[in-house]
Order: sequence, then C-alpha cells, then structure tokens
Amino acid sequence: MADLSGQGFDLAGLGAEVTSASSRAQYAAMAGLRWHLFVNGVRSRMGIFELGARTVTFLLFAIFGLGLGAGAGMMAYLMASSGMWLFLPLILWVLFLLWQTGPVMMASMQEQFDLGILLRFPVRFSTYCVLYVVFGLVDISTILGGLGCLGIWLGISMAQPERIAWTALGLLGFAAFNVLLARAVFAWIDRWLTQRQTREVMGALFMVLLLSLQLLNPALRHKRHPAAISAQQGPAMAGDPQQARAAFMARYGDWIRPVYRTQEWTPPGLAVRAAQMEAQNRPRQALLSLGALGVWVLAAGGVLARRLRAEYRGENLSWAPNRKKPAGALAAALPVEAGWRFGGASLLIPLMEKEARALRRTLPLLWALGAPILTVLVMASLLRNNAIGSSFPFALPLYVAFALMGFTQLFSNNLGAEGAGIQLLFLTPTPIRTVFLAKNLFHALLFCLDAVLVGGLAILRMGAPQAVVVAATAAWVLFALPCCLAVGNIFSLRMPFRIHPGRIKRQRGSQANALSSMALLLAVMAVGLGIFWLGWALEAPWLAVLLLLLAAAAAIRVWLYGLHGVAALANQRRDTLLQTLMKTE
Amino acid sequence: MEIAAIRTVGLTRRFGELTAVEDVSLSVAPGQFFGFLGPNGAGKSTTIKMLTGLLEPTAGRIEILGQSFGAASLELKRQIGVVPEGMALLGRLTAREYLRFVGRMYGLDRETTHQRTDELLDFMQLTGDGRKLVTDFSHGMQRKLAMAAAVIHGPKVLFLDEPFEGVDAIAAGMLKTMLQGMLARGATIFLTTHVLEIVERLCSHVAIISKGRLVANGPLEELRAGVVSTLPDVARDERLTLEQIFLSIVGAGGGEPAQELSWLT
Repeated sequence: MADLSGQGFDLAGLGAEVTSASSRAQYAAMAGLRWHLFVNGVRSRMGIFELGARTVTFLLFAIFGLGLGAGAGMMAYLMASSGMWLFLPLILWVLFLLWQTGPVMMASMQEQFDLGILLRFPVRFSTYCVLYVVFGLVDISTILGGLGCLGIWLGISMAQPERIAWTALGLLGFAAFNVLLARAVFAWIDRWLTQRQTREVMGALFMVLLLSLQLLNPALRHKRHPAAISAQQGPAMAGDPQQARAAFMARYGDWIRPVYRTQEWTPPGLAVRAAQMEAQNRPRQALLSLGALGVWVLAAGGVLARRLRAEYRGENLSWAPNRKKPAGALAAALPVEAGWRFGGASLLIPLMEKEARALRRTLPLLWALGAPILTVLVMASLLRNNAIGSSFPFALPLYVAFALMGFTQLFSNNLGAEGAGIQLLFLTPTPIRTVFLAKNLFHALLFCLDAVLVGGLAILRMGAPQAVVVAATAAWVLFALPCCLAVGNIFSLRMPFRIHPGRIKRQRGSQANALSSMALLLAVMAVGLGIFWLGWALEAPWLAVLLLLLAAAAAIRVWLYGLHGVAALANQRRDTLLQTLMKTE
Repeated sequence: MEIAAIRTVGLTRRFGELTAVEDVSLSVAPGQFFGFLGPNGAGKSTTIKMLTGLLEPTAGRIEILGQSFGAASLELKRQIGVVPEGMALLGRLTAREYLRFVGRMYGLDRETTHQRTDELLDFMQLTGDGRKLVTDFSHGMQRKLAMAAAVIHGPKVLFLDEPFEGVDAIAAGMLKTMLQGMLARGATIFLTTHVLEIVERLCSHVAIISKGRLVANGPLEELRAGVVSTLPDVARDERLTLEQIFLSIVGAGGGEPAQELSWLT
C-alpha cells in the first residue's frame, strides 16, 4: 500500500490509489457536493445577490489577471528579445510573492472549504492530498499567478520561438512549486491560528512590526541626507543610462552579485535559468536547472504532505481543550483575566472592552486594519523619490482615505465576530442600540488611531501639508466616518457573515457585503474628491472645509437617526442573524 | 477467543500540559450496548474521537473488530459509524443531498445510496422536509439526520456522542427502536450521554470516566452491587438508580457547591 500515512513511499502504487475506483467515486461525490452547495446558495434573493457580487469580483480579478499576464508577458518579451535574461527572475519573484501572500490575504474574498470534514469517511491520504491541492487550483492567487506565467511564456516564446518547450517546462515547475508551497503555507498558518494564544502572539507581533516600521521610517529619512541622495542620483540625472548602470553596479555590485548567484538556485531563478542555459546551447546545465527545480517542487510537496498527514491522522488543534488552570492558592491569587481593563461605569465601557478583547484575538481583522498602513508606507516611499510625489499636496487625504479601506470589514460586518454570542445580545436587557453605539464608537476610535498613524507617516515621508489640507482632511473624516458607520450598521444586519477568529479555512465571507461596502467607500471618497476639487478650483480651499463640515453635520445626524432604527431592524432580522452567525460548518 | 468489537489498552491523549485521557483500557464485546459516562470535560468526546480515528492517541493501542488504525484505517472507517459531538452536517445541503453525499463517500454505489437515503428519510420522518436546507432544520431534526448519516453504510460498530441531546420524546423513541434493531442484528453500540435514564434502560455495560481516568467499568448490575457494598447507609437489597451509582463514584467531593449563592432568589 502506497499510502503516505504509512512508512514506505511507492510512486506507482500512489498513482494507482489516486485513480482507483473508490477515489474516483469520492472525487465525484465532492464535485457533486460543490455543485449542490452552489445551486442551494442561489435559492434565496440574498444568494442571487451574492452570486452577482461574486461574478463582479471574478470579472475584476479576471481583468487584473489579464493585465498582470499582459504586463508580465510584455516585460518578458522585452527582456528576452534584448537578451536581458539577468532581469527575468525579477518578474517571477513578483509573481512568487503574489502567489504566496494571496491565499491568506484574500481568504475572506473567496469561499473556503474545510476538508477536515472528510476525515471521518474512508478517504485515502493520497485522495485527501489530491483534493486539498485541487481546491488550491481554483484559488484567486493561483489563477492570477497562472495568468502571469502564461503571459511570461507567451512573451519569451514570441521573442525566441525556439525556447517554447524549455520555457514551458521551467514555468510549469515554477507554477507547481508555487501551488504546493501556497497550500502548505496556508495549511501551516491555519494550524497556528487554531490556538488562541498563537493568534494573540501573532497579532501582537504584527502590531510591533507596524510600529517598528513607523519608527524606522524617520530613521531612514535622517540617514538619507540630501547630499548623499543627490550624489547617488547624479549620474542618472545626467541622462546616461549606461553610466548610471555602471555607477549603480560600482556602488551596489558587491552585494548584488552574490544575491543574484544565490537566487539562481531558487525556483524563480531556476525556471529562467533552464531556458537561458538552453538558449546558450548548454543542455546539461538546463537539465540540471530543471532537476533542481523538481527538487524544490518535491520539497514544497513534502512540507504540505507533512502538515496534511498530521491533519489526516487526527491533530485538529481546534479540538484541544483549554490549558489547565493553576490550582489552589495560585489560582486564587491570580485575577480572572490578567491584563488591561477599561474603567468607567457606563454600559458602553464593558461593550467596548469586549470589542477590544475580541479584536485582539481575531487576526484576519487585525490584518485588515494594519495592511493599509504597510501599503501607505510602500506608496509613500515610492512617491517620495519622484517628481510627482514630492510636489503632491494631497498626500495626507489620499493616505487617510486609503486607511479607511481597511475598516470596511469592521464597519460593514460588525456582528461577524460574535459567533454564537449573538444570542446574548438578544437575551440581555442591554438595548441593541447601545451595543451598536459601543461598536461604532470603538471602531471610530480605532480608525482615528489608524488615521493618525497614516497621517504621521505621510507627513514624515512627504513633508508637512498646508493647514487647510489638514483641516479639510479632518472635516472629510468627520463626514466619511458617520456615513460608513450608519450604512455599515445596516449592512451588518442585512448581509452578515461569520468571522472565525482562527480557522482561515472556515471563513465564508460575503461578496455582496464586500462589494456593497466598497461601493459605499467609493461614494464617500467621490463626495470628498468633488468638494476638494470645487474648493481648490474656486481658489477658496477653506470653502471646501466649510462644505465638508456641513456634510459631516448631516452625516452625523443620519448616523444618529439610523442608530434609533437598529433595534427594530435587528429584531426583524433576528432569525437570520442567529442562523448565519451561529453556523459552525 | 472472541474478538472484541472495541478494545483499548493504555489509551492516553495529552494536549500540551493537559492530559485529557489517561491510561484508559476497556473492552466491548460484539453486540453490546455500551454506555460511556462521565461529567463534563471528563474526556468522553476525546475518547470517541480517538476510537473513530479522528484524533491520534498520544499513547496506547486501539483495536476495532480486531484491527488497529494505521494500515487498516480505511477498512475500519467503513465498518464504523459516528454521530460526532458537533454532528458535522453540511448546512447548505438538503437532507437528501447530504445523505447521498455521505453514502458515496462511504463507497456505496449510486443505486444503493439512493435507495437507503429514501428509506432513512422515511424512517426518520424527514421526507416532507426534502427541500429544506439542513441549516433550516430544528436541532432535533439535525440529530436525526446525523444519526441517518451514521448508519447509511450499515456499520458494525456505532459510536454515538450525545445523540439524544435536544431530541423530543417521539424522535428519541424512534432512535431507540432503530438502535435496538441494529443491536438485534449484531451491531455494537458505544454511547455517551448525560441522560442516565437512557443508559440505564438501553445499556448492558457501563464505563465511567472522570478527569481522564477510567473509574468504573463493567456490567451495570456489577457496578450497582459494588457501590451498594461501599455505602454503609444503604441496604444490600436496595436497587440504586444509575444516577445514584454515578454520583457515588464521580460526585464524591465535587457534588456539593462550595458555598450558597445567597443573592439567588
């Protein structure tokens, strides 16, 4: 028996197992299951709306994927036709990063299916692995990465038609490595996140990373003295690319060369090296590169198989009972829950404290909040070094608006992390309105913190903006925040979906919610943009501040009015809320 | 010597520092209705997960129908049926779709799966709810469906984790009839439940686990006699209920609350 759960490994036996009649019947049952889930998903009006939203998302990603493929293909064509093989791995490195970070970052944008439910059936380990990998093939990042690879293959093949086969082999190996590694990364991260403590540690590390970047930023800025920068950029400014390249290599060559030689033995480097060596009539080297790439594929497959084997043999950590509490006098000496605690007697305080504790343990939400800060850091760094960036006076509102994107999930699905606890909201005598008010205030506070961080970052990287821009940005925040909170409360009650604090595999998400909240965000941004444009076009920027403040007053009024209605809407939607948020499968 | 339907030797499962199940050795004969009892958090569900191959033991051995998990795990899984703790249903399927999926996953051919699905839906009185999604079922209906899924492939050993929780009297009676029918045809049933009255009525043998350790194991009458002999205030011929037996074995020292909650009206 070639089952990998055993000790031996028999490739022929494994092939027979994977294609055996019982395995084929199980693949068919899984395909039927997916079909029924899809058909049943559109039985309700909400389901049809959800399907429409998924179609729109698919089209958006398809456009992005085709653009990515076309861009990568064009670059590959230019590089291959001009003999610049040296730079080709760069495109593959970008694809590699997209492929590996995508599954976790985009987990909530696509439906996940926890294959753990199959373990009670007589499913072979090989069948389990095949299903796990096949499910990964329809992952958004795999589709994007695949289109990128296809583009590169077409680009190189058009530039050098005789390289079609070798390029295809190299890129196939690269794609196989990425698929297996992405699934392995996904499975390992999912395993770590099953434990509350790990989630908290990772959440804390993530926050420390963000803060470190904030501190690192001014330090780097200080280091990059204007004189040094102009000395570095001097030759490039002179307009001679050859000279600029020579100067660049003279300065950085000592560490670029060993880095490049090392990366040649990594999958992106090897995929390119195989085609490059064949182009140079060095078939042995080309074969060696393909062989080495094969070893990488096997290694990634091994890492994945190790994780899946642990799952298959029964190591689901979400079943693990809580750790033993200390007994006796020690237990009495310890507080019930060590750590911080909000003070105050208002009903809002315990509700906000609960929100803070839940957020601390929900890594997907923490990631959503932190990701815009990281992106702003990258954007600010890119813009800072070119002419547009250094003279762009609206960097502050742009970055603050971008930070708001991270909050769409919190605003528009503010009951998602409640799970079965949603029942408590209906059982306790606390008015639903107070619950929503506490959630809104807490989320608004968090956004203000995020906006201050992002704003500070923008000022540090791009310089201090005019006072009127700061005032207009603040006025826009006062307008945008209540708008998002008011509509978000309605979305939370109308289109809720459960957020599992740990298992990424169990996130179901709601495309309808995601797209609707994104549309809301765009509308709020469009209003802000329109008023900014009007103010600056009329050369009366303070008029924009005034108009935004008026809009803010109206938005706050709408938000408060909406808060009065949430209790009625929540009661009307109670059954659906309980059903949706208490689902465990 | 007859092969035991279920046999464990030194079964242990640890989660980090916590030992959930420790050194559990028991044997269940074929055709036995076996009750596995214990207070909350005693290790009942962890034991069932290990016995059904869903959780790997840290130490010890498991044999089901004379075979151990590992090389024969696929064959074993075909022989056993499980109603797991969380029922493991797929909420966005109808009952019929779910049973057909389960049947196919157990390797039944299409025709047999369809025929058994219809029969089970009829027996469980779920045919009228054929269009309903499982997520819209009541808790009791979901239990009945979970039970149907556990038996669709005709298992020889059935593991039931709290199958009667939230089930009304009519449905409970129906499930008991089905279980007794299986028992009459030679199946072995391993049941965990907090409803001691059901265990008393159905099970011939009982084991009690507390804090991960097996504290009692044997025919119900033997346990009764053993407990009576240790209680000085109880007459030898007095027939103790299972609840009294259970409390005297497990509840000692933990049965009484430490203090009165004076604020409770």
